[in-house]
Amino acid sequence: MVSFIGRSMVQKTVTLFFVSIVSFLIIHLAPGEPSQVDPLNPKFTPEMVERFRKEFHLDKPLYVQYIYFYRDLFTGKIVSWKDNQSVLIKIWERFLNSLPLFIVGTILTWTLSFPVGIRSAIFRGGLYDRSATFLSYLLISIPGFFFAYILIILVVTTLHVPVIGMETFGLGASSWGNMLMDRIWHLLIPSVLGATGGIAVLSRYVRSQMLEVEGQDYVRTARAKGLPPDQVHYKHALRNALLPFVTMFGLILPGLIGGSVIIESIFSWPGMGRMAYEAILARDYPIILTVNFISAVLVLAGTFISDILYLVVDPRIRL
Amino acid sequence: MTTKRLLILIPTLVILFLFQSYLWVPTYEEQTKGNPDRLYEYITPSLGDATSLNPIISSNATSSQIESLVFEGLIDRDDELRFRGRVARSWEIFEEAYFYMNPEASLPEGGAADAQRVVHILSTARERPEGLTPEVRATLERIKEIVRMPPEARKAIRRLKSSDGSETVQEIRVDIQAPPRIKLVLSEVDQDLFKNLSNLLGEDYFRAFDPLPFVTAEPPVDREILTEWAAELLPSVEHNPAIIFHLRPDVRFHDGHILSADDVRFTYQAIMDPANLSPRVSDYEPVKTVDVIDPLTLRIVYQRLYSPALGTWGMGILPEHLLNRTALRKEAEALGRDPEKFTMRQSRFDRRPVGSGPFIFEDWESDQFISLKRFEGYWEGPPHYHRYVMRIIPDLLTQEMEFYSGTLDNYTVQPHQVERLERDPRFQCFSGTSFGYTYIGYNLRRPPFDDVRVRRALGMALNVGQIIEFVLYNQGERITGPFVIQTDYYDRHIPPLPYDPQGALRLLGEAGWQRNEKGWLEKDGKKLEFTLITNSGNDIRKAVLAIAQDAWKQIGIDVRTDVLEWSVFIQERVNKHDFDALVLGWVMGIEPDLYQIWHSSQTHPHQLNFVGFKNPEADDLIVKIRQEYDHEKQVAYCHQLHELIAQEQPYTFLYVGKWTAVLDKRILIKDLDQDGVMQYRKITPTKTGDYTFHFNKWIKVSDMPQLSTEE
Amino acid sequence: MTHNQYTLESPSAPRRTRLRELWQLFRENKLAILGLIIFVLFFMTAVSGVILTSGQRPVFDPAMVRLQEKLLPPLTRPHLESLHPTEVPTLGIYLFGTDDLGRDVFARMLQGAWVSLTVGFVAVGISVLVGIFMGGIAGYFGQEYICLDHILIAFILSAGGTLLSIGSIGSGSACLGVGLLCIVYRLFSKILGEKLQSPGLLHKKAISIDTIIMRAVDIMLCFPSFFLILTVVALVPASMYNIMIVIGLTSWMGTTRFVRAEFLSLREQDFVTAAKALGVGNFRIIFRHMMPNAVAPVLVSATIGIATAILTEAGLSFLGFGVPPPHATWGNILSDGKRFIFDAPWLTFIPGIGILIVVLCFNLFGEGLRDAMNPKLRERG
Repeated sequence: MVSFIGRSMVQKTVTLFFVSIVSFLIIHLAPGEPSQVDPLNPKFTPEMVERFRKEFHLDKPLYVQYIYFYRDLFTGKIVSWKDNQSVLIKIWERFLNSLPLFIVGTILTWTLSFPVGIRSAIFRGGLYDRSATFLSYLLISIPGFFFAYILIILVVTTLHVPVIGMETFGLGASSWGNMLMDRIWHLLIPSVLGATGGIAVLSRYVRSQMLEVEGQDYVRTARAKGLPPDQVHYKHALRNALLPFVTMFGLILPGLIGGSVIIESIFSWPGMGRMAYEAILARDYPIILTVNFISAVLVLAGTFISDILYLVVDPRIRL
Repeated sequence: MTTKRLLILIPTLVILFLFQSYLWVPTYEEQTKGNPDRLYEYITPSLGDATSLNPIISSNATSSQIESLVFEGLIDRDDELRFRGRVARSWEIFEEAYFYMNPEASLPEGGAADAQRVVHILSTARERPEGLTPEVRATLERIKEIVRMPPEARKAIRRLKSSDGSETVQEIRVDIQAPPRIKLVLSEVDQDLFKNLSNLLGEDYFRAFDPLPFVTAEPPVDREILTEWAAELLPSVEHNPAIIFHLRPDVRFHDGHILSADDVRFTYQAIMDPANLSPRVSDYEPVKTVDVIDPLTLRIVYQRLYSPALGTWGMGILPEHLLNRTALRKEAEALGRDPEKFTMRQSRFDRRPVGSGPFIFEDWESDQFISLKRFEGYWEGPPHYHRYVMRIIPDLLTQEMEFYSGTLDNYTVQPHQVERLERDPRFQCFSGTSFGYTYIGYNLRRPPFDDVRVRRALGMALNVGQIIEFVLYNQGERITGPFVIQTDYYDRHIPPLPYDPQGALRLLGEAGWQRNEKGWLEKDGKKLEFTLITNSGNDIRKAVLAIAQDAWKQIGIDVRTDVLEWSVFIQERVNKHDFDALVLGWVMGIEPDLYQIWHSSQTHPHQLNFVGFKNPEADDLIVKIRQEYDHEKQVAYCHQLHELIAQEQPYTFLYVGKWTAVLDKRILIKDLDQDGVMQYRKITPTKTGDYTFHFNKWIKVSDMPQLSTEE
Repeated sequence: MTHNQYTLESPSAPRRTRLRELWQLFRENKLAILGLIIFVLFFMTAVSGVILTSGQRPVFDPAMVRLQEKLLPPLTRPHLESLHPTEVPTLGIYLFGTDDLGRDVFARMLQGAWVSLTVGFVAVGISVLVGIFMGGIAGYFGQEYICLDHILIAFILSAGGTLLSIGSIGSGSACLGVGLLCIVYRLFSKILGEKLQSPGLLHKKAISIDTIIMRAVDIMLCFPSFFLILTVVALVPASMYNIMIVIGLTSWMGTTRFVRAEFLSLREQDFVTAAKALGVGNFRIIFRHMMPNAVAPVLVSATIGIATAILTEAGLSFLGFGVPPPHATWGNILSDGKRFIFDAPWLTFIPGIGILIVVLCFNLFGEGLRDAMNPKLRERG
């Protein structure tokens, strides 16, 4: 166990190192320069452009820039080129904004997919199963922004209430309960949109897991014993079918930072995804690279956690 | 089974809980009627976030919109675009001019020129101007004072650069033994002063001044370099226009500190400080000195004629007491940063500005909103709105939805929506012409665009009226030249190119292009073909691209089009001059200074005259315009330049767009009438189309009141 | 040799029956059949679209600008009096209406169908090819080791390349020369047998091929995929090919893992051992014997991959990084149309619903195939 953890730590560190190199190269070898140095703004003289380049170390060779960048990142001194704000603080703020979306989305995904998936598996081939299949594929087949616009327009034109942003602006001093509910309302539509894909995929996965388990001998035995079908499904089958999902808790970790660029831009939600997108547009390399680095860390941490969880819950695996 | 029940119960509860939140959210009407505070709050959208709220650092539109409310400049422009005092109560512009005695020159009446005789000539001419031309007379009338200045000895340090110009190799001391000089104080700025004076002192008097004998270098340098330095250090003549500003005594910063002339000087110094990397340096680079005469009086002297100078003082004034060296040092120490490297760019002021404008900065959440509250101590009286909130919503469609749901107070309408929203009884609409124009620019370095006939023909083949009608939904105005159409610098008498494809073909025929059997235009066996490019992300430019391609195809020109991402477009194509023709726009300032875009010295890579327009006559006019302080004369020069550019057609000028904004109808102007009775009236745009000009007097009411009928 | 092979192949399970069995299972799934039908229809539309909308005088001209006819709703007849005879739409009616420049939306959808399909197919094609190649190598040659001297040579060569590209020609070519000399030396030593022994250290086994490839997969999986695509597409010049390549090169990891796992188990099977024993070449074993057994499931995920690629392209279009004009794709028709959602809703709904239907049918078809091929589910029929 300890040796497994040690080995996997080393391996993941090496992977991280290569990720950092690859992402650095991708960004620096592409054409285009930071937009703060906007050469078509008549007020920027070539000397200013030169000074900016110097300030951001853009005049140095690549490996020096690489070292500077990661030195600044690890000492926490890294600042955005766009507004001189500390990148880590910016990311932390955005992370806090994305967090409620992520939480509500995850709750929706995990609470809805299980009942749907289990029911489809139990009534395999029936009308319910087929319509659930169709619906879940329908949901993952709609272009996200198209769906979002239709929902927004429906809500605004029929209900006349605001849906964009994190809260209703200009509410002034209302009771905290009112504010809370207002915020939840604003969370609802973007997180539903964000969760649709997840629900569709996860419920399909639950269904196939259940089907797989239901074919096992011990379930057949239980059924043959004459146990009531509900008990067979929910006690014998479900418990075993749930096993792989425990490990998925690790894999949702990267979702924390992913954030959906499209949904966040449409709902003008000041989250991670939108910050990353705007950083890409502005060629704000420190932010792009830091987001990339942190998400790589989360991916690696996620797989690590899920490996460990697997070890813990599945008695058949011993290393 | 509990599991089964739980699996159904939990999702149902979660969904019910989430959906009941709808019941708590106010609708459009509830926001206006149910919440009195909302009426005192103005919420406006913006597509992008601000970068910095320090006016000397930022350079984007969102930042300057906020800055214009938080900060205030010495002057601004009124509803007719004339200058109007804000922090400055009044100002005067005059000139101090200098010239050196030229011992080599001989005066028209004979004999060498010494200071006494020159002064004598000038004074007698001033007293008895008979027999002189009117221009010379006018110049002499402006001279208020003639001062003789004794010879002086100065020292200067010059640096010799290495061959690639990047490093200093050697420092050289230059000793200057300047000859006597004469200072003229003029009541008005006169760019023709020396030209007119040479009528009195001799044609060659100013031109023949040789500064070389008056300088020596230590250690010695090449004669050529020394000649160059001498010309810089001892210019034969010098114009020093000056502005004196008288400030208002009752202007305070939001923290209660009184705004004085020192703050203005500090703002200037902050811009010029290289550590701040201010993008506005070029505006203030001609300034020679900024002197504080007393706390409310300021004198700014320029080292050369630069007529856009006055306009630059619309710049917001920074509070010195919060940003001077000691304050920054204190802040750096509090933050644990290196005080030596801590500049205004690192200061918190960037995100929490303090100014003297009508609104006080309150809060800024990145990519969410910037909120301001009104400044009770504003010298002109506080605005009616208590709060001003700018929300950052990057998508136009969702902005529109938010406007409908009542959480935005205005919305900038896209052209195709104007008709629909103008009909809506809930809203009021305003439209005006914007300051930017769209054009097709040709790379004049490349054939066939070096031929004016081809450029003219391309313009004639294009139905601009159709573009305005169908792409802009009539929300645009045809233009013929580079000046802002609302100002009088723009000459409205110049006719636009006619839409005449046959005429275009004739012109191309004159230039040697004939149709071949396939219908393509050909000259010496070469097909007329080129690529028209533009940047991505602008639908209207994309549409212009498609229409131009189509129109030019009609007359037999094979045009390919390409849409490039902005930074690639600028850096790979525009800056490297690697394009045939492009669709692009300029956003203009009101000042008619065209130096950077049209002067022939600005055609190098990375400069803005990327089409490569070179015309000596235009160069001359451009320089004259930026040196002329008299509005009438400036207008005359501008009209000449406008006509010249319209003749040359380096661009096919297309249109200036119109913007339209909608507001809720219940937003009105609240004002006192002549008798001091409070009354409401409808918002009306100014002549230049600015509907927010009276913003400080706006207010929203919950029910439509009786409107005064004086409109 | 050939004779042996013949006898080897003939006893393997007859193909037709397997296919027929598959078809039988597949046919029971009505949704999948529906998916297949729409898939075929879409394919035919796309092919006829490219024929009808390209060329000098296309039957349907998607680029024809008729400004006076802009924003007409579907099924409107053109105003014949204001149009040049060549400008009248071929069907005599705007089947899907016109857009903000008066272009015929039907013609644009036809053209876009082909481009969208190409984007999907090429992107997935790239990802499948890369995936199979990498997975195949990892699975088959996985246990081979790369020695230190290989790494050293590769390092010298790449250093030479870098130096050359930076501009220092002297040291760069020197490095390249040394690297080439090393290779020649190695080849010679191989030909001459073991006579020329290089120091033992250089022959130390450093890292296995399998490890290299799987670590590369891990590295690629560390990037959030849409974010990575967006970054690269934003940085490279916008073009249809770049988008296809970028989508393809960022989605091969799943296939690689899959093919590798499949190969690892196939390698141990008897028919591979037999082929090896007969002296069949490595590549023949891989492509002739192992690949057909591993590739079917890959095709299923490729079907779904095409759907994803079409959606990804639409998402990129929305953010302004989609396939640039003059190519119309359903994605960019949709994102261009959204500005007009109140004034001309058909510009949003026609491409939106079009994408929805096509992606849905790809998904259903892929899912049906997967179900039919899943042996566990097959048993219980």
